[in-house]
Amino acid sequence: MAAKWGVANIYASYNNIMITLTDITGAETITRATGGMVVKQAKDQASPYAAQRVAERVADVAKERDFVGIHVKVRAPGGNKSASPGPGAQAAIRALARAGMKIGRIEDVTPVPHDGTKKKGGRRGRRV
Amino acid sequence: MRPVRIPQDRVGVAIGAEGKTKAMLQRMCGMKIDVDKEGNIMVHDEAESADPLMALKVCDVLKAIGRGFSPERASRLFKDDEYLEIVDLKQVVGTKANQLNRVRGRLIGSEGKTRRIIEDLTGVHMTVYGNTVALIGDSVSLPVAKEAVEMIINGSEHATVYHFLESQRPRLRISELGFDL
Repeated sequence: MAAKWGVANIYASYNNIMITLTDITGAETITRATGGMVVKQAKDQASPYAAQRVAERVADVAKERDFVGIHVKVRAPGGNKSASPGPGAQAAIRALARAGMKIGRIEDVTPVPHDGTKKKGGRRGRRV
Repeated sequence: MRPVRIPQDRVGVAIGAEGKTKAMLQRMCGMKIDVDKEGNIMVHDEAESADPLMALKVCDVLKAIGRGFSPERASRLFKDDEYLEIVDLKQVVGTKANQLNRVRGRLIGSEGKTRRIIEDLTGVHMTVYGNTVALIGDSVSLPVAKEAVEMIINGSEHATVYHFLESQRPRLRISELGFDL
């Protein structure tokens, strides 16, 4: 049988990380893991450490199902929110590679508006 | 092929004298980099031999140079577990030029005192360039530095921020020694 490849859809925001492993068509989900599944405190969900653990979980299942390589689609929140992926994205890709998966193409699939709605925060900026 | 845009002012830094910086970056990542006068950069990662993770890293390094870091400091991003964080002041402060100037001044401090203290106590690198603050640090020190920057932006007194940084010292030291938190 030819070497089987999958697609890891990595959604890395500043609050969480989500990795959905699908087959090459993207229609069949093999497994999914999120930051909340591996850490105790909510504030750690987006940390690089959580991303590493999430990627390891995904890689385990991938190996079980005889995947040899993974293409990566990285996504940030996008739209009128942040367009650059959170700190977890790089850590996750690195952990996938460490776990013995071949990394194929890395693609940025952040949704970019052709001018959309106004960003939240109002005229005086974001106040914390 | 990955595009990066940097301000025109920083194009010279990204290329370096006689293209030295560009050559150094190309050697470190093993990919071809094209820079034009307007600040459009292309990183060519089509080659089979190209390390896909390296392509992301070199994009971050170029972004950091565009955000005011020197190439030497930006090269820190090639290491594992070093991340770039960019805070847009306009989003937090609003668009009034006076307010932006005031906050920029507060972040830098007189003769760079505040910036130096943040850098020394956390071990991150920090620049204030245009309407952004950029930080380079590891996964432990970066959130601490970011918190400090946000405290200053939101109006905390400098003394309060220095106390906060001082209180985080023991935690940072433990992780420096290589223990997990």
